[in-house]
Amino acid sequence: MAKNTRGNIRVGAWLGLVPFLVFCLAFEFIPIIFLLRGSFIDKTTQGLTMNHYLQMGRAIYTNSFINSIKLSGITAIIGVILGTIIGYAIYRWPSERLRQALISLSDVTTNFAGAPLAFAFIVILGMNGVITQFLIQYFNYNLYPKFTIYSFSGLMLAYVYFQLPLMVLLVIPAFSAIKKEWKESAESLGANNFQFWRRIGLPVLMPSLFAGFTLLFANAFGAYATAYTLVESQLSLVTLQIGYMIAGEVRHDPGIGMAMAVLSLIIMGLSIGIYQLTTVRARKWTKS
Amino acid sequence: MSNKSNPPNGTPIKKRPAFWQIAAIAFFVLYMFLPIISTYMFSIATRWDRSILPEGYTLQSYVRAFQASYFTVTLRNSLILSISSVIVSLMIIVPTVYWVHTRLPRAKSLLEILMILPFGIPTVVLALALVRVYSLTPLSRSPVLLLGAVIVYSMPFMYRPVANALQAIDAHTLTEAGQSLGANTFRILMSIIVPNILPGILSGSLLVFATVFAEFTLTRLIVGASFKTFPLLLVEYTRINGNIAAAFSVISFTIAWLASILILRVGSKDHAAQTEAMQAR
Repeated sequence: MAKNTRGNIRVGAWLGLVPFLVFCLAFEFIPIIFLLRGSFIDKTTQGLTMNHYLQMGRAIYTNSFINSIKLSGITAIIGVILGTIIGYAIYRWPSERLRQALISLSDVTTNFAGAPLAFAFIVILGMNGVITQFLIQYFNYNLYPKFTIYSFSGLMLAYVYFQLPLMVLLVIPAFSAIKKEWKESAESLGANNFQFWRRIGLPVLMPSLFAGFTLLFANAFGAYATAYTLVESQLSLVTLQIGYMIAGEVRHDPGIGMAMAVLSLIIMGLSIGIYQLTTVRARKWTKS
Repeated sequence: MSNKSNPPNGTPIKKRPAFWQIAAIAFFVLYMFLPIISTYMFSIATRWDRSILPEGYTLQSYVRAFQASYFTVTLRNSLILSISSVIVSLMIIVPTVYWVHTRLPRAKSLLEILMILPFGIPTVVLALALVRVYSLTPLSRSPVLLLGAVIVYSMPFMYRPVANALQAIDAHTLTEAGQSLGANTFRILMSIIVPNILPGILSGSLLVFATVFAEFTLTRLIVGASFKTFPLLLVEYTRINGNIAAAFSVISFTIAWLASILILRVGSKDHAAQTEAMQAR
Protein backbone atom coordinates (compact mmCIF):
# COMPACT_ATOMS: atom_id res chain seq x y z
CA MET A 1 0.00 0.00 0.00
CA ALA A 2 2.67 2.43 1.08
CA LYS A 3 4.78 1.36 -1.86
CA ASN A 4 1.84 1.91 -4.15
CA THR A 5 1.26 5.54 -3.10
CA ARG A 6 4.94 6.26 -3.47
CA GLY A 7 4.77 4.86 -6.96
CA ASN A 8 1.82 7.13 -7.69
CA ILE A 9 3.73 10.12 -6.44
CA ARG A 10 6.58 9.27 -8.75
CA VAL A 11 4.29 8.99 -11.78
CA GLY A 12 2.62 12.23 -10.69
CA ALA A 13 6.01 13.89 -10.52
CA TRP A 14 6.78 12.90 -14.12
CA LEU A 15 3.38 14.29 -15.19
CA GLY A 16 4.65 17.74 -14.20
CA LEU A 17 7.09 17.56 -17.10
CA VAL A 18 4.36 16.92 -19.67
CA PRO A 19 3.59 20.50 -20.76
CA PHE A 20 7.26 21.22 -21.38
CA LEU A 21 7.78 17.93 -23.22
CA VAL A 22 4.71 18.51 -25.39
CA PHE A 23 6.10 21.91 -26.35
CA CYS A 24 9.51 20.41 -27.20
CA LEU A 25 7.85 17.63 -29.21
CA ALA A 26 5.68 20.04 -31.19
CA PHE A 27 8.30 22.64 -32.04
CA GLU A 28 11.54 20.73 -31.93
CA PHE A 29 11.58 16.92 -32.02
CA ILE A 30 8.70 16.03 -34.37
CA PRO A 31 9.82 18.63 -36.96
CA ILE A 32 13.42 17.37 -36.78
CA ILE A 33 12.32 13.72 -37.10
CA PHE A 34 10.10 14.68 -40.02
CA LEU A 35 13.11 16.38 -41.60
CA LEU A 36 15.26 13.29 -41.11
CA ARG A 37 12.60 11.09 -42.65
CA GLY A 38 11.97 13.49 -45.51
CA SER A 39 15.62 13.46 -46.49
CA PHE A 40 15.28 9.73 -47.35
CA ILE A 41 11.90 9.87 -49.11
CA ASP A 42 11.54 10.27 -52.84
CA LYS A 43 9.11 13.06 -53.74
CA THR A 44 7.31 11.26 -56.56
CA THR A 45 7.43 7.58 -55.63
CA GLN A 46 7.22 8.11 -51.83
CA GLY A 47 9.74 5.28 -51.52
CA LEU A 48 13.03 5.23 -49.66
CA THR A 49 15.96 6.77 -51.49
CA MET A 50 19.57 7.80 -50.92
CA ASN A 51 19.41 10.04 -53.95
CA HIS A 52 19.28 13.32 -51.99
CA TYR A 53 22.50 12.46 -50.21
CA LEU A 54 24.16 11.29 -53.42
CA GLN A 55 23.25 14.64 -54.98
CA MET A 56 25.42 16.33 -52.34
CA GLY A 57 28.38 15.32 -54.50
CA ARG A 58 27.37 17.98 -57.06
CA ALA A 59 29.73 20.95 -57.14
CA ILE A 60 27.13 23.51 -56.01
CA TYR A 61 26.44 21.63 -52.76
CA THR A 62 29.99 20.42 -52.12
CA ASN A 63 31.23 23.99 -52.56
CA SER A 64 28.79 25.36 -50.05
CA PHE A 65 29.92 22.79 -47.47
CA ILE A 66 33.58 23.52 -48.22
CA ASN A 67 33.00 27.28 -47.94
CA SER A 68 31.06 26.95 -44.68
CA ILE A 69 33.64 24.64 -43.11
CA LYS A 70 36.51 26.85 -44.29
CA LEU A 71 34.87 30.02 -43.00
CA SER A 72 33.97 28.48 -39.63
CA GLY A 73 37.37 26.78 -39.26
CA ILE A 74 39.44 29.85 -40.12
CA THR A 75 37.43 32.27 -37.98
CA ALA A 76 37.45 29.76 -35.10
CA ILE A 77 41.25 29.42 -35.28
CA ILE A 78 41.71 33.21 -35.45
CA GLY A 79 39.24 33.56 -32.59
CA VAL A 80 41.03 30.96 -30.45
CA ILE A 81 44.53 32.42 -30.99
CA LEU A 82 43.69 36.12 -30.64
CA GLY A 83 41.05 35.46 -27.98
CA THR A 84 43.55 33.54 -25.84
CA ILE A 85 46.16 36.31 -26.07
CA ILE A 86 43.57 39.02 -25.34
CA GLY A 87 42.03 36.89 -22.60
CA TYR A 88 45.40 36.46 -20.92
CA ALA A 89 46.10 40.19 -21.23
CA ILE A 90 42.78 40.87 -19.49
CA TYR A 91 43.34 38.15 -16.89
CA ARG A 92 46.71 39.61 -15.88
CA TRP A 93 45.58 43.24 -16.02
CA PRO A 94 46.23 44.93 -12.64
CA SER A 95 43.02 46.97 -12.39
CA GLU A 96 39.97 44.95 -11.33
CA ARG A 97 37.65 47.63 -12.74
CA LEU A 98 39.08 47.48 -16.24
CA ARG A 99 39.05 43.67 -16.14
CA GLN A 100 35.36 43.70 -15.28
CA ALA A 101 34.62 46.35 -17.91
CA LEU A 102 36.34 44.31 -20.64
CA ILE A 103 34.52 41.13 -19.61
CA SER A 104 31.21 42.99 -19.75
CA LEU A 105 32.17 44.40 -23.15
CA SER A 106 32.79 40.85 -24.38
CA ASP A 107 29.45 39.76 -22.96
CA VAL A 108 27.67 42.42 -25.00
CA THR A 109 29.60 42.29 -28.27
CA THR A 110 29.49 38.51 -28.64
CA ASN A 111 25.74 38.94 -29.12
CA PHE A 112 26.18 41.70 -31.70
CA ALA A 113 25.82 39.42 -34.66
CA GLY A 114 23.45 39.64 -37.55
CA ALA A 115 22.28 42.41 -39.82
CA PRO A 116 23.28 45.52 -37.79
CA LEU A 117 26.80 44.13 -37.36
CA ALA A 118 27.07 43.31 -41.05
CA PHE A 119 25.96 46.85 -41.88
CA ALA A 120 28.50 48.30 -39.41
CA PHE A 121 31.24 46.52 -41.38
CA ILE A 122 29.90 48.01 -44.61
CA VAL A 123 30.17 51.43 -42.91
CA ILE A 124 33.86 50.94 -42.05
CA LEU A 125 35.08 48.79 -44.93
CA GLY A 126 32.63 49.37 -47.76
CA MET A 127 33.75 51.15 -50.93
CA ASN A 128 33.37 54.53 -49.15
CA GLY A 129 33.94 53.15 -45.68
CA VAL A 130 35.76 54.92 -42.88
CA ILE A 131 38.86 52.70 -42.98
CA THR A 132 38.83 52.59 -46.77
CA GLN A 133 38.84 56.43 -46.83
CA PHE A 134 41.50 56.61 -44.14
CA LEU A 135 43.85 54.38 -46.12
CA ILE A 136 43.30 56.37 -49.32
CA GLN A 137 43.86 59.76 -47.67
CA TYR A 138 46.84 58.92 -45.46
CA PHE A 139 48.54 56.00 -47.17
CA ASN A 140 47.36 56.59 -50.71
CA TYR A 141 46.25 52.97 -50.77
CA ASN A 142 42.92 51.80 -52.10
CA LEU A 143 41.60 48.51 -50.73
CA TYR A 144 39.23 48.22 -53.65
CA PRO A 145 38.90 46.46 -56.03
CA LYS A 146 41.30 43.84 -54.62
CA PHE A 147 39.38 43.59 -51.38
CA THR A 148 35.65 43.93 -50.91
CA ILE A 149 33.60 43.58 -47.77
CA TYR A 150 31.03 41.57 -49.75
CA SER A 151 33.36 38.58 -50.02
CA PHE A 152 34.82 35.64 -48.14
CA SER A 153 37.51 37.76 -46.49
CA GLY A 154 35.00 40.51 -45.67
CA LEU A 155 32.72 37.96 -44.07
CA MET A 156 35.69 36.62 -42.11
CA LEU A 157 36.30 40.02 -40.52
CA ALA A 158 32.64 40.26 -39.49
CA TYR A 159 32.62 36.73 -38.05
CA VAL A 160 35.81 37.32 -36.05
CA TYR A 161 33.94 40.23 -34.46
CA PHE A 162 31.61 37.88 -32.58
CA GLN A 163 34.11 34.99 -32.27
CA LEU A 164 36.77 37.02 -30.42
CA PRO A 165 34.71 38.07 -27.39
CA LEU A 166 33.18 34.58 -27.12
CA MET A 167 36.67 33.07 -26.87
CA VAL A 168 37.74 35.74 -24.35
CA LEU A 169 34.78 34.75 -22.15
CA LEU A 170 35.56 31.03 -22.50
CA VAL A 171 39.29 31.26 -21.91
CA ILE A 172 39.51 33.61 -18.91
CA PRO A 173 38.21 31.05 -16.37
CA ALA A 174 40.65 28.50 -17.85
CA PHE A 175 43.69 30.58 -16.85
CA SER A 176 42.88 30.12 -13.19
CA ALA A 177 43.81 26.44 -13.71
CA ILE A 178 47.45 27.39 -14.14
CA LYS A 179 48.64 27.44 -10.57
CA LYS A 180 51.15 29.95 -9.33
CA GLU A 181 53.10 27.13 -7.66
CA TRP A 182 53.67 25.42 -10.99
CA LYS A 183 55.19 28.53 -12.44
CA GLU A 184 57.39 28.98 -9.36
CA SER A 185 58.53 25.37 -9.42
CA ALA A 186 59.27 25.61 -13.12
CA GLU A 187 61.28 28.77 -12.53
CA SER A 188 63.23 27.24 -9.66
CA LEU A 189 64.13 24.37 -11.96
CA GLY A 190 65.53 26.89 -14.39
CA ALA A 191 62.73 26.98 -16.97
CA ASN A 192 62.21 30.24 -18.83
CA ASN A 193 58.86 31.73 -19.77
CA PHE A 194 58.73 30.05 -23.16
CA GLN A 195 59.60 26.64 -21.74
CA PHE A 196 56.98 27.02 -19.04
CA TRP A 197 54.21 27.75 -21.55
CA ARG A 198 55.34 25.05 -23.95
CA ARG A 199 55.68 22.28 -21.39
CA ILE A 200 53.09 23.15 -18.77
CA GLY A 201 50.90 26.14 -19.55
CA LEU A 202 49.69 25.17 -23.02
CA PRO A 203 49.17 21.45 -22.27
CA VAL A 204 47.00 22.41 -19.30
CA LEU A 205 45.09 24.96 -21.39
CA MET A 206 44.78 22.63 -24.38
CA PRO A 207 41.41 21.04 -23.51
CA SER A 208 39.93 24.51 -22.96
CA LEU A 209 41.37 25.81 -26.22
CA PHE A 210 40.09 22.81 -28.11
CA ALA A 211 36.67 23.15 -26.50
CA GLY A 212 36.75 26.82 -27.48
CA PHE A 213 37.55 25.89 -31.07
CA THR A 214 34.59 23.50 -31.35
CA LEU A 215 32.14 26.00 -29.87
CA LEU A 216 33.40 28.82 -32.10
CA PHE A 217 33.22 26.52 -35.11
CA ALA A 218 29.58 25.66 -34.39
CA ASN A 219 28.86 29.32 -33.68
CA ALA A 220 30.06 30.31 -37.15
CA PHE A 221 28.70 27.30 -39.00
CA GLY A 222 25.10 27.99 -37.96
CA ALA A 223 25.25 31.74 -38.60
CA TYR A 224 22.91 33.08 -41.29
CA ALA A 225 21.89 36.72 -40.84
CA THR A 226 25.39 38.21 -41.08
CA ALA A 227 26.15 36.21 -44.22
CA TYR A 228 22.75 36.99 -45.76
CA THR A 229 23.25 40.73 -45.27
CA LEU A 230 26.86 40.83 -46.50
CA VAL A 231 27.34 38.30 -49.29
CA GLU A 232 23.82 37.16 -50.17
CA SER A 233 24.41 35.46 -53.49
CA GLN A 234 28.13 36.20 -53.99
CA LEU A 235 29.23 33.30 -51.81
CA SER A 236 27.67 29.90 -51.41
CA LEU A 237 27.30 28.79 -47.78
CA VAL A 238 25.29 25.87 -46.39
CA THR A 239 22.96 28.06 -44.33
CA LEU A 240 22.36 30.42 -47.25
CA GLN A 241 21.56 27.47 -49.56
CA ILE A 242 19.04 26.02 -47.10
CA GLY A 243 17.56 29.51 -46.75
CA TYR A 244 17.03 29.82 -50.53
CA MET A 245 15.21 26.51 -50.58
CA ILE A 246 12.83 27.49 -47.77
CA ALA A 247 12.09 30.88 -49.26
CA GLY A 248 11.45 29.14 -52.57
CA GLU A 249 13.97 31.38 -54.35
CA VAL A 250 15.62 28.32 -55.84
CA ARG A 251 13.48 25.58 -57.32
CA HIS A 252 14.92 22.34 -56.11
CA ASP A 253 13.70 19.05 -54.84
CA PRO A 254 12.82 19.79 -51.17
CA GLY A 255 14.57 16.54 -50.26
CA ILE A 256 17.90 18.14 -51.19
CA GLY A 257 17.35 20.93 -48.69
CA MET A 258 16.45 18.38 -46.04
CA ALA A 259 19.57 16.32 -46.75
CA MET A 260 21.68 19.48 -46.42
CA ALA A 261 19.91 20.32 -43.18
CA VAL A 262 20.52 16.83 -41.78
CA LEU A 263 24.21 16.99 -42.70
CA SER A 264 24.65 20.39 -41.07
CA LEU A 265 22.78 19.14 -38.02
CA ILE A 266 25.33 16.31 -37.79
CA ILE A 267 28.26 18.73 -38.16
CA MET A 268 26.81 21.04 -35.48
CA GLY A 269 25.93 18.13 -33.21
CA LEU A 270 29.45 16.72 -33.46
CA SER A 271 31.08 20.06 -32.62
CA ILE A 272 28.73 20.75 -29.69
CA GLY A 273 29.12 17.15 -28.48
CA ILE A 274 32.92 17.35 -28.59
CA TYR A 275 32.66 20.71 -26.85
CA GLN A 276 30.66 19.19 -23.98
CA LEU A 277 33.09 16.27 -23.65
CA THR A 278 36.19 18.45 -23.67
CA THR A 279 34.79 20.94 -21.14
CA VAL A 280 34.32 18.06 -18.73
CA ARG A 281 37.97 17.21 -19.30
CA ALA A 282 39.05 20.82 -18.98
CA ARG A 283 37.18 21.17 -15.71
CA LYS A 284 39.50 18.56 -14.24
CA TRP A 285 42.16 21.28 -13.97
CA THR A 286 39.97 24.07 -12.66
CA LYS A 287 38.61 21.94 -9.83
CA SER A 288 40.18 22.66 -6.42
CA MET B 1 30.68 34.28 -12.75
CA SER B 2 32.84 34.10 -9.63
CA ASN B 3 35.53 32.52 -11.75
CA LYS B 4 35.60 35.54 -13.98
CA SER B 5 35.69 38.16 -11.27
CA ASN B 6 38.20 36.49 -9.00
CA PRO B 7 41.64 38.00 -9.08
CA PRO B 8 44.10 35.50 -10.56
CA ASN B 9 44.38 33.00 -7.77
CA GLY B 10 47.40 34.01 -5.84
CA THR B 11 49.40 35.05 -8.89
CA PRO B 12 51.39 38.11 -7.93
CA ILE B 13 49.92 40.88 -10.04
CA LYS B 14 52.44 43.14 -11.67
CA LYS B 15 51.81 46.76 -10.83
CA ARG B 16 52.21 47.86 -14.40
CA PRO B 17 50.72 46.09 -17.40
CA ALA B 18 53.27 44.91 -19.94
CA PHE B 19 53.44 46.51 -23.37
CA TRP B 20 52.01 43.42 -25.08
CA GLN B 21 49.01 43.56 -22.74
CA ILE B 22 48.29 47.18 -23.63
CA ALA B 23 48.66 46.37 -27.34
CA ALA B 24 46.37 43.32 -27.15
CA ILE B 25 43.66 45.16 -25.25
CA ALA B 26 43.92 48.26 -27.45
CA PHE B 27 43.46 46.06 -30.52
CA PHE B 28 40.47 44.33 -28.93
CA VAL B 29 38.76 47.57 -27.85
CA LEU B 30 39.36 49.09 -31.30
CA TYR B 31 37.95 46.02 -33.09
CA MET B 32 34.87 46.02 -30.86
CA PHE B 33 34.16 49.76 -30.95
CA LEU B 34 35.21 51.00 -34.39
CA PRO B 35 32.30 49.43 -36.35
CA ILE B 36 29.74 50.49 -33.74
CA ILE B 37 30.96 54.07 -33.29
CA SER B 38 31.31 54.52 -37.03
CA THR B 39 27.70 53.41 -37.52
CA TYR B 40 26.50 55.88 -34.87
CA MET B 41 28.44 58.67 -36.62
CA PHE B 42 27.33 57.60 -40.08
CA SER B 43 23.70 57.83 -38.97
CA ILE B 44 24.08 61.54 -38.13
CA ALA B 45 26.49 62.49 -40.91
CA THR B 46 25.42 64.72 -43.77
CA ARG B 47 28.07 63.43 -46.12
CA TRP B 48 30.89 61.04 -45.29
CA ASP B 49 32.35 59.50 -48.38
CA ARG B 50 35.35 61.71 -49.18
CA SER B 51 36.80 62.74 -45.81
CA ILE B 52 38.00 61.17 -42.57
CA LEU B 53 35.35 62.83 -40.44
CA PRO B 54 31.81 63.60 -41.58
CA GLU B 55 31.37 66.95 -43.32
CA GLY B 56 28.46 67.90 -41.11
CA TYR B 57 25.89 66.51 -38.76
CA THR B 58 22.14 66.16 -39.04
CA LEU B 59 19.27 64.15 -37.60
CA GLN B 60 17.67 63.95 -41.04
CA SER B 61 18.20 60.15 -41.31
CA TYR B 62 16.20 59.58 -38.16
CA VAL B 63 13.36 61.77 -39.34
CA ARG B 64 13.30 59.81 -42.60
CA ALA B 65 13.69 56.49 -40.76
CA PHE B 66 10.65 57.20 -38.61
CA GLN B 67 8.68 58.21 -41.69
CA ALA B 68 9.73 55.09 -43.60
CA SER B 69 6.76 52.99 -44.57
CA TYR B 70 6.45 49.95 -42.35
CA PHE B 71 8.58 51.49 -39.56
CA THR B 72 5.77 51.56 -36.98
CA VAL B 73 4.29 48.28 -38.16
CA THR B 74 7.60 46.41 -37.94
CA LEU B 75 8.42 47.93 -34.57
CA ARG B 76 4.99 46.91 -33.31
CA ASN B 77 5.41 43.37 -34.71
CA SER B 78 8.84 43.04 -33.12
CA LEU B 79 7.51 44.18 -29.75
CA ILE B 80 4.53 41.80 -29.96
CA LEU B 81 6.81 38.90 -30.85
CA SER B 82 9.45 39.56 -28.18
CA ILE B 83 6.99 40.32 -25.37
CA SER B 84 4.82 37.30 -26.09
CA SER B 85 7.85 35.02 -26.31
CA VAL B 86 9.03 36.28 -22.91
CA ILE B 87 5.58 35.59 -21.41
CA VAL B 88 5.13 32.13 -22.93
CA SER B 89 8.73 31.19 -22.21
CA LEU B 90 8.26 32.17 -18.54
CA MET B 91 5.03 30.18 -18.35
CA ILE B 92 6.66 27.04 -19.72
CA ILE B 93 10.14 27.17 -18.25
CA VAL B 94 9.78 28.55 -14.70
CA PRO B 95 7.21 25.97 -13.45
CA THR B 96 9.08 23.13 -15.18
CA VAL B 97 12.44 24.06 -13.66
CA TYR B 98 10.86 24.51 -10.22
CA TRP B 99 8.99 21.23 -10.51
CA VAL B 100 12.06 19.23 -11.54
CA HIS B 101 14.11 20.94 -8.86
CA THR B 102 11.80 20.07 -5.98
CA ARG B 103 9.83 17.00 -7.10
CA LEU B 104 11.91 15.25 -9.69
CA PRO B 105 15.63 15.82 -9.02
CA ARG B 106 16.35 12.67 -11.01
CA ALA B 107 15.29 14.44 -14.19
CA LYS B 108 17.67 17.38 -13.67
CA SER B 109 20.29 16.26 -16.16
CA LEU B 110 17.61 15.35 -18.71
CA LEU B 111 16.10 18.82 -18.35
CA GLU B 112 19.52 20.41 -18.69
CA ILE B 113 20.13 18.55 -21.96
CA LEU B 114 16.67 19.40 -23.35
CA MET B 115 17.09 23.07 -22.47
CA ILE B 116 20.57 23.42 -23.99
CA LEU B 117 19.80 21.33 -27.09
CA PRO B 118 18.54 24.23 -29.24
CA PHE B 119 22.11 25.62 -29.22
CA GLY B 120 23.03 22.67 -31.42
CA ILE B 121 20.35 23.29 -34.04
CA PRO B 122 21.19 25.88 -36.71
CA THR B 123 18.32 28.34 -37.05
CA VAL B 124 17.91 27.63 -40.77
CA VAL B 125 17.49 23.93 -40.00
CA LEU B 126 14.86 24.66 -37.34
CA ALA B 127 13.05 26.94 -39.79
CA LEU B 128 13.11 24.32 -42.55
CA ALA B 129 11.90 21.57 -40.21
CA LEU B 130 9.00 23.68 -38.89
CA VAL B 131 7.97 24.97 -42.30
CA ARG B 132 7.86 21.45 -43.73
CA VAL B 133 6.11 19.64 -40.89
CA TYR B 134 3.34 22.25 -40.55
CA SER B 135 3.01 22.99 -44.27
CA LEU B 136 -0.52 21.56 -44.57
CA THR B 137 -1.91 22.91 -41.28
CA PRO B 138 -3.35 26.32 -40.38
CA LEU B 139 -0.12 26.92 -38.45
CA SER B 140 1.80 26.98 -41.73
CA ARG B 141 3.96 30.11 -41.95
CA SER B 142 1.87 31.78 -39.25
CA PRO B 143 3.12 34.11 -36.49
CA VAL B 144 2.14 31.40 -33.97
CA LEU B 145 4.58 28.98 -35.59
CA LEU B 146 7.21 31.73 -35.47
CA LEU B 147 6.46 32.25 -31.78
CA GLY B 148 7.05 28.55 -31.07
CA ALA B 149 10.28 28.69 -33.06
CA VAL B 150 11.74 31.74 -31.29
CA ILE B 151 10.84 30.26 -27.89
CA VAL B 152 12.72 27.05 -28.71
CA TYR B 153 15.62 29.09 -30.03
CA SER B 154 15.81 31.33 -26.95
CA MET B 155 15.14 28.57 -24.40
CA PRO B 156 18.74 28.26 -23.14
CA PHE B 157 18.79 32.00 -22.41
CA MET B 158 15.77 31.74 -20.12
CA TYR B 159 16.78 28.44 -18.56
CA ARG B 160 20.30 29.33 -17.37
CA PRO B 161 19.57 32.34 -15.13
CA VAL B 162 16.34 30.80 -13.78
CA ALA B 163 18.05 27.49 -12.91
CA ASN B 164 21.01 29.30 -11.35
CA ALA B 165 18.73 31.49 -9.23
CA LEU B 166 16.74 28.45 -8.12
CA GLN B 167 19.95 26.63 -7.27
CA ALA B 168 20.99 29.50 -5.03
CA ILE B 169 17.87 29.47 -2.83
CA ASP B 170 16.71 26.69 -0.54
CA ALA B 171 13.66 25.78 -2.62
CA HIS B 172 12.94 22.62 -0.61
CA THR B 173 12.66 24.35 2.76
CA LEU B 174 10.64 27.21 1.25
CA THR B 175 8.26 24.71 -0.37
CA GLU B 176 7.83 22.75 2.85
CA ALA B 177 7.21 25.96 4.78
CA GLY B 178 4.54 26.89 2.24
CA GLN B 179 2.95 23.44 2.41
CA SER B 180 2.82 23.51 6.23
CA LEU B 181 0.88 26.77 5.93
CA GLY B 182 -1.56 25.03 3.62
CA ALA B 183 -0.60 26.68 0.34
CA ASN B 184 -0.96 24.66 -2.87
CA THR B 185 1.84 24.25 -5.38
CA PHE B 186 0.66 27.10 -7.62
CA ARG B 187 0.45 29.48 -4.66
CA ILE B 188 3.91 28.43 -3.40
CA LEU B 189 5.40 29.00 -6.84
CA MET B 190 3.77 32.40 -7.36
CA SER B 191 4.11 33.94 -3.92
CA ILE B 192 7.24 32.32 -2.48
CA ILE B 193 9.50 30.95 -5.21
CA VAL B 194 9.03 33.57 -7.94
CA PRO B 195 9.79 36.58 -5.66
CA ASN B 196 12.91 34.78 -4.45
CA ILE B 197 14.28 34.06 -7.91
CA LEU B 198 13.14 37.36 -9.43
CA PRO B 199 16.66 38.50 -10.42
CA GLY B 200 17.12 35.27 -12.41
CA ILE B 201 13.69 35.66 -13.99
CA LEU B 202 14.46 39.26 -14.95
CA SER B 203 17.86 38.39 -16.46
CA GLY B 204 16.31 35.55 -18.42
CA SER B 205 13.42 37.71 -19.63
CA LEU B 206 15.75 40.51 -20.75
CA LEU B 207 17.99 38.05 -22.58
CA VAL B 208 15.02 36.48 -24.35
CA PHE B 209 13.58 39.89 -25.18
CA ALA B 210 16.86 41.14 -26.66
CA THR B 211 17.48 37.91 -28.59
CA VAL B 212 13.99 37.73 -30.07
CA PHE B 213 13.90 41.45 -30.85
CA ALA B 214 17.05 41.03 -32.95
CA GLU B 215 15.92 37.72 -34.48
CA PHE B 216 16.17 37.67 -38.27
CA THR B 217 16.61 34.14 -39.64
CA LEU B 218 13.50 32.40 -38.25
CA THR B 219 11.32 35.43 -38.97
CA ARG B 220 12.43 35.77 -42.57
CA LEU B 221 12.25 32.07 -43.36
CA ILE B 222 9.05 31.16 -41.50
CA VAL B 223 6.74 34.14 -42.01
CA GLY B 224 8.69 36.45 -44.34
CA ALA B 225 6.88 39.53 -45.55
CA SER B 226 3.51 38.62 -44.02
CA PHE B 227 4.72 39.50 -40.52
CA LYS B 228 7.62 41.85 -41.09
CA THR B 229 9.72 42.66 -38.03
CA PHE B 230 12.27 45.39 -37.39
CA PRO B 231 15.41 43.34 -38.31
CA LEU B 232 13.79 42.45 -41.66
CA LEU B 233 13.17 46.12 -42.37
CA LEU B 234 16.79 46.90 -41.44
CA VAL B 235 18.17 44.37 -43.93
CA GLU B 236 15.83 45.67 -46.60
CA TYR B 237 17.17 49.21 -46.11
CA THR B 238 20.83 48.12 -46.24
CA ARG B 239 20.04 47.57 -49.92
CA ILE B 240 17.94 50.71 -50.44
CA ASN B 241 19.34 53.55 -48.34
CA GLY B 242 22.53 53.48 -46.28
CA ASN B 243 21.66 56.45 -44.07
CA ILE B 244 18.31 55.04 -43.02
CA ALA B 245 19.89 51.60 -42.55
CA ALA B 246 22.45 53.27 -40.27
CA ALA B 247 19.69 54.89 -38.22
CA PHE B 248 17.94 51.50 -37.91
CA SER B 249 21.23 49.82 -36.93
CA VAL B 250 21.78 52.45 -34.25
CA ILE B 251 18.30 51.81 -32.85
CA SER B 252 18.99 48.09 -32.75
CA PHE B 253 22.48 48.50 -31.20
CA THR B 254 21.04 50.85 -28.58
CA ILE B 255 18.34 48.37 -27.60
CA ALA B 256 21.01 45.64 -27.28
CA TRP B 257 23.22 47.91 -25.13
CA LEU B 258 20.31 48.91 -22.90
CA ALA B 259 19.26 45.29 -22.38
CA SER B 260 22.85 44.34 -21.55
CA ILE B 261 23.24 47.16 -19.04
CA LEU B 262 19.97 46.15 -17.37
CA ILE B 263 21.08 42.51 -17.28
CA LEU B 264 24.38 43.51 -15.66
CA ARG B 265 22.49 45.56 -13.06
CA VAL B 266 20.07 42.74 -12.32
CA GLY B 267 22.89 40.20 -12.54
CA SER B 268 24.92 41.91 -9.82
CA LYS B 269 21.88 41.82 -7.57
CA ASP B 270 21.53 38.19 -8.53
CA HIS B 271 25.12 37.68 -7.46
CA ALA B 272 24.51 39.47 -4.14
CA ALA B 273 21.40 37.38 -3.55
CA GLN B 274 23.42 34.24 -4.22
CA THR B 275 26.11 35.12 -1.68
CA GLU B 276 23.41 36.11 0.81
CA ALA B 277 21.73 32.75 0.39
CA MET B 278 25.07 31.04 0.88
CA GLN B 279 25.76 32.94 4.07
CA ALA B 280 22.32 32.21 5.43
CA ARG B 281 22.90 28.48 5.11
